[in-house]
Amino acid sequence: MRITDHRIVDIAAAAAQRNQSTVGELSNQVSTGLRVSKPSDDPAAWMTAQREKVRAALNDGTSQVVDAGHERLVASDGALSTLAGIVSQARDLAVEGSNDTLSAAARQDIATQLNSLFDTAVSTANTINADGEYLFSGENSLTQPFDMTTGAYTGDAAARAVNTGPQATQIATVPGSGLTAAGGVDILPLIKTLATAMSTNNAATIQSSLGGLVTAVNQLSLLRGQTGARMAVLETAKTAHDQLATRIQTSISNGVEIDTVQAASDLAKASQALSISQSVTTHVLQLLAPSK
Amino acid sequence: MSDLMSLLSLGSNALSAANNGVAIATNNATNANTEGYSRQTIDFESSLLGGVTSGTTGRDASALLQQRIRASAGSLAHSTQTQASISDLEDTLTSGSGIDVQLSNLFSRIAQASASPTDSTLREAVVQATRDLVGGINGRAAQVASARQDADVRIGQNVPQAAQLAHQLADANRIVAKSGDPAALDHREKIAKQLSSLVGGAARIDPDGNMRFLLDGGAVLVDGTHAATLQTSTDPTTGYQIAQVADGGVTRDVSGQLGGTIGADITFRDTTAKKTADQLDQLAYDTATAFNTQHAANAALDGTTGNKMFVAPASVSGAASQLAIDPTLDANASKLALGSPGGAIGDNSGGLALFALATAKNAVGGTKTLTDAAVAFVGDLGSAGATAKSDNDRDQIVSDHLASLRDSLSGVDTQEELTKLARFQNASSAITKFVSSINDMLTNLIQSL
Repeated sequence: MRITDHRIVDIAAAAAQRNQSTVGELSNQVSTGLRVSKPSDDPAAWMTAQREKVRAALNDGTSQVVDAGHERLVASDGALSTLAGIVSQARDLAVEGSNDTLSAAARQDIATQLNSLFDTAVSTANTINADGEYLFSGENSLTQPFDMTTGAYTGDAAARAVNTGPQATQIATVPGSGLTAAGGVDILPLIKTLATAMSTNNAATIQSSLGGLVTAVNQLSLLRGQTGARMAVLETAKTAHDQLATRIQTSISNGVEIDTVQAASDLAKASQALSISQSVTTHVLQLLAPSK
Repeated sequence: MSDLMSLLSLGSNALSAANNGVAIATNNATNANTEGYSRQTIDFESSLLGGVTSGTTGRDASALLQQRIRASAGSLAHSTQTQASISDLEDTLTSGSGIDVQLSNLFSRIAQASASPTDSTLREAVVQATRDLVGGINGRAAQVASARQDADVRIGQNVPQAAQLAHQLADANRIVAKSGDPAALDHREKIAKQLSSLVGGAARIDPDGNMRFLLDGGAVLVDGTHAATLQTSTDPTTGYQIAQVADGGVTRDVSGQLGGTIGADITFRDTTAKKTADQLDQLAYDTATAFNTQHAANAALDGTTGNKMFVAPASVSGAASQLAIDPTLDANASKLALGSPGGAIGDNSGGLALFALATAKNAVGGTKTLTDAAVAFVGDLGSAGATAKSDNDRDQIVSDHLASLRDSLSGVDTQEELTKLARFQNASSAITKFVSSINDMLTNLIQSL
């Protein structure tokens, strides 16, 4: 094939241009760390990575839901723990007050302590979460669930499920109905009744309250157990979220990110090729210069 | 004496032939870098009465190769423009947060608000995510529309240029028919190649030597010394320009027959970018419909139902550019319906149902999730971009190969021309000496008489 000097220069220049373009692309990959920076670079890999990013965003969102749910359950468990302590104290006071030899004045003193415990218990049961909702009100979450005077429950029995994944939900609240007769005995009114019985020196009522307080202790223990189980589920979900986030990141990395060592090696090769082609172009131009 | 005179005449003819050779070689060398120049040749013929004469000036060119080069130019221009247009749109659509990420962000905010449905901050975050999504879809729709408009502007600029080239080609046919000058043939080829780059099509040389230029659909743009008028007209339906060929009082829409740069812009505007716009409209429509349907069935914080998240789009067409957040929700986040009808204020079952839309196939006729559809509309454009890049790479290789073939046949090698020049100069010097010797002999003869 006849090749003119003009063509030789064109070929040399085109080769240098191609090599320069390759160096540019590889430099861009090395500097950004991305093999696929836009869809047309590798449509299938880009779409896969983009779907993974969507999964990551959803996973991040539900992970925060899990965190918030867990914090709420921790707060609920703390309140239940306080209530359990109060009920234990009330039971001890009831045992002390049930002594037949105890005077009315002594029972009045116990009544005072029980009233104080009742106030603390009602206040604890009406704890407001960081998001402004009552912890134990069920879904009637902006209404104070326990009457400050009687301890009667005015909330509902609904437990709230939250999203722990794209297609998964878990219960993340403890309705106050568990503190009522629905769960065993109506705990707060029971303390109030006991305090009144102490105050009125009503030995029979004091005696009859003892059994209820034992039930209340068990009831709170059971409720804390349920709360702990829900916390454990959310902790498992949290672990799964963390693992999924890592897997997604790995998947994205494998799909669109460069192998740094390989890319650096390719860049070095391409740079060398560019240098050679530039030398060839210079040499060709010298050869074809009119003075030669 | 008469023999000496004829020898002098023979020398004169030879000198003239050598000088013609020098002129051709010089012309070739000076046009070594002229694009589209075909090296010229001159034939030397021995005269019946002795001596040499130079024949007509020719050019080393292949009609078949030129035809392939013109076709290749159209194809290369088409794929180059297609790739550039798609790449630009792709860059635009992938800058900043994508709609897919904005959608997943909305779902995440809904999940968070559902966990605490009475929390005004979390509700406001959902409303803000909705605003962001609306802004994102509106923005993308504007970007796609702008890309289509840009292509339309280019069409409007290139069609008159192609029309001018068509008339220049007809003029070139006239000049070639009149002179047959090799430079005129090169000039005609150059015009035809430029025209092919703009409109694609095919040009062939008729037996009468005229170049006939036809568009891919068969419409004749140039026939001999006559050129039809290529023009644009505004399509009343789309508002975009269509390409027409007007000839003999008849006007035909040739938009679908054009290749080259103009054809690439028409295809991009009416097919590739339109598909993206349609997908975006469908996504906006599906998003608004799916969210509105579920949201209306839910109960807001005040217990009301029937509330919307988006202004309901009237139709799929234009849904992306017209998408808007429901003004009531925009003004009051408590209208975000995360509960169920008749439920307590902290009921979040409606919010869970809204979040479930993340995995429900509500897009593209129930075949994709909303987020998948959001990924796909850019991904499909990327696939088109990858195909265009592949086509462009192929066309570039073909073009380079044809350029090599053309250069092999028609290109000027300055070393070769300098060698020829030296050869003709030597011949010219020798003939000059020969003529001088004959002249001396004649002078001596005349003086001796």
